[in-house]
Amino acid sequence: MNAKAQANLIEAIVDATVHYDESRCVTLARQAIDEGLDPFKVIQEGFSRGMQIVGEKFSTLEYCLPEVMLAADAMNAATEILKPQLMESHEADSQGIIVLGVIQGDIHDLGKNIVKIMLQASGFTVHDLGNDAPVRGFIEKAEAVGADIIAASAILTTTMSYMPDISAMLRELGLREKYMIMLGGAPVIDEWAMEIGADGYGEDAVEAVAVAKRLMQKKRGG
Amino acid sequence: MIGFWDVIGRSESGPLVKEKEFDLRVGRVARQMIEKYDIKYDPQNVIPADDGLADRVYQAGLDLFLELGIYCRDTGRLMKFTREEVEWALKHAPTAVTYGQGRDMATMTYRAIEDSKPPFCIMTPVGAPVAEERFVAMVQSYAQEPLAQTFSSAFSQTVHGRPIKSGTPQEVEAAIWNVIKLREAARAAGRPQLGIHNLVSNAERTDAILAAVQADFGVQPNDGLCIAATAELKIDYERVKKTVFLRQSGHNKYGLLGPLVGGYSGGPQATALVHIAHHFLALLAFEAQWHCGFPLHIHHGCNTTRELLWLVSLTAQALSRNTHLLITANTFAAAGPCTEMVAYEIVAHALAATVAGADLDLAAVARNRHPEHATGMEARIGAEAGHLTARQGVTRDQANEIVKQILAQYEDQLAEAPIGKRLDECYNLETLEPTQEYVELYEGVKDKLSKFGLDYSLL
Repeated sequence: MNAKAQANLIEAIVDATVHYDESRCVTLARQAIDEGLDPFKVIQEGFSRGMQIVGEKFSTLEYCLPEVMLAADAMNAATEILKPQLMESHEADSQGIIVLGVIQGDIHDLGKNIVKIMLQASGFTVHDLGNDAPVRGFIEKAEAVGADIIAASAILTTTMSYMPDISAMLRELGLREKYMIMLGGAPVIDEWAMEIGADGYGEDAVEAVAVAKRLMQKKRGG
Repeated sequence: MIGFWDVIGRSESGPLVKEKEFDLRVGRVARQMIEKYDIKYDPQNVIPADDGLADRVYQAGLDLFLELGIYCRDTGRLMKFTREEVEWALKHAPTAVTYGQGRDMATMTYRAIEDSKPPFCIMTPVGAPVAEERFVAMVQSYAQEPLAQTFSSAFSQTVHGRPIKSGTPQEVEAAIWNVIKLREAARAAGRPQLGIHNLVSNAERTDAILAAVQADFGVQPNDGLCIAATAELKIDYERVKKTVFLRQSGHNKYGLLGPLVGGYSGGPQATALVHIAHHFLALLAFEAQWHCGFPLHIHHGCNTTRELLWLVSLTAQALSRNTHLLITANTFAAAGPCTEMVAYEIVAHALAATVAGADLDLAAVARNRHPEHATGMEARIGAEAGHLTARQGVTRDQANEIVKQILAQYEDQLAEAPIGKRLDECYNLETLEPTQEYVELYEGVKDKLSKFGLDYSLL
């Protein structure tokens, strides 16, 4: 496949993702494998770029949450096809491993779900603890999967009080230096997050991705 | 007829549906209804005066509710209802709700579109975070407002110096403390029997909340609690438990309904339909006596954007024309205390809601999350605008022209709205009076609003 044909295929993938066309995304992912394209490039320049456009449309409300969810589903279905090839050639190419969840006592997971979609689309491996996740659970999962970042969200003032425990418990267990902590959610503000020992704060999903990238750079000594 | 236990029984017998499938179905059905009923959002008609549109929005919201039902998160089942059941519940919905005792008693009743009766004014910092030592001062600044007919709570970040964590013994202690301090604030305001519409704002678990609802702590028989839909057309048992208690205790109860524009429903038209449907949810699953709506913009976290003002006004008109439900609109402003922007946002919202037949719940400011950034002055600004709208006989067309001029003052600043000043910078905490700076700022805004068409001499 020549360079122009490859570029056209990548553009078609971007377009299919933006139009949350799952069957077309899957077909194009298969075609990319058959044509011998680098699966990492297909994800980064095709599906992730498509999701980036979806994110931009979401930020202006040209798209709403259903479109974001459908686009993420389309991308995930396609990347499942690419995964075996990806594992062979680029296992270490994840942007970073994140344990993500809604903090104990809180069942409001909408914001967390959007952040998860955008992090995955940006190449992060995300382990989702769902909602009402105890602080100990975040740490145990992080230890189990070798995470880089622990990310927690709260939407209630009554549940954000658990957030300081993440840093405190990590310190108590002698694990604080192993992980970056990022926080978000409706009642959480930047100053408070820093005050309680977080390394980063994301106002929304777009900022969360930028912060996660910055934290990974810091963690990797960049 | 449909009874409460018949409704709740359906959460155990309705069809099983995966939550994500339901979430996606909400937007899909909303889109179908928008098309079927030809619902269009017109940014130039922020406060529409089209009765046909209001009626179509109502019918579309009802059809959407019948099609979707309520999703119970605990069982993963759909609770479906017939048109006759919803109409029966609407027919028998409360026509009045009374809070407070003695001279502090106040009754909320139905309001019509362009009603000359002033809106019922609920005043509250909506759970804004505040230091324990300033909690009473903050809530008193609302309770002492002459136009306040009920009040409720801020969120004390600690109680007895200890942080409050949901699900811990401290949460129960905090909830009881919250109630005692609210009554103390009412007494300090010289309105000892003023009603408290939501007794507890610093606890999430139902056991903690209910532990605080005791006469010994200063709770009056007609004080009450809110019961929230957890997300678009969803309920869970933790919150429904409050309904069961309140049915037996006799305290007042209301539905807290906050769909997101940009969320599962979709854009402003779709969210308007879901917002209408939420009122049926609250009536059936919570036996809500009245309904507090706080639809929000998913990114801005406020409801003073152009599309949200349209939604607030149109849904209130739709409900006011087609039901006798008691509906309030809860202001969520992006800017914070002692800024011109917050005054403009609150007045725009008050106009949009009052002229549409809603009562007022005033006011969450600074996106409801910056500690110490909420004061009774913002509630005063909204209540005075609401009273003025009714007294002056402002029509929807006039309100539309005024609101468009107000929007021009702040619309481009929504993303970077100033958070304003803290309570102790806005009020003299000894006398609990607003500072000269804040009073003069409000006077300046009133001068500008007078030029837009609001006659403040009528107050």
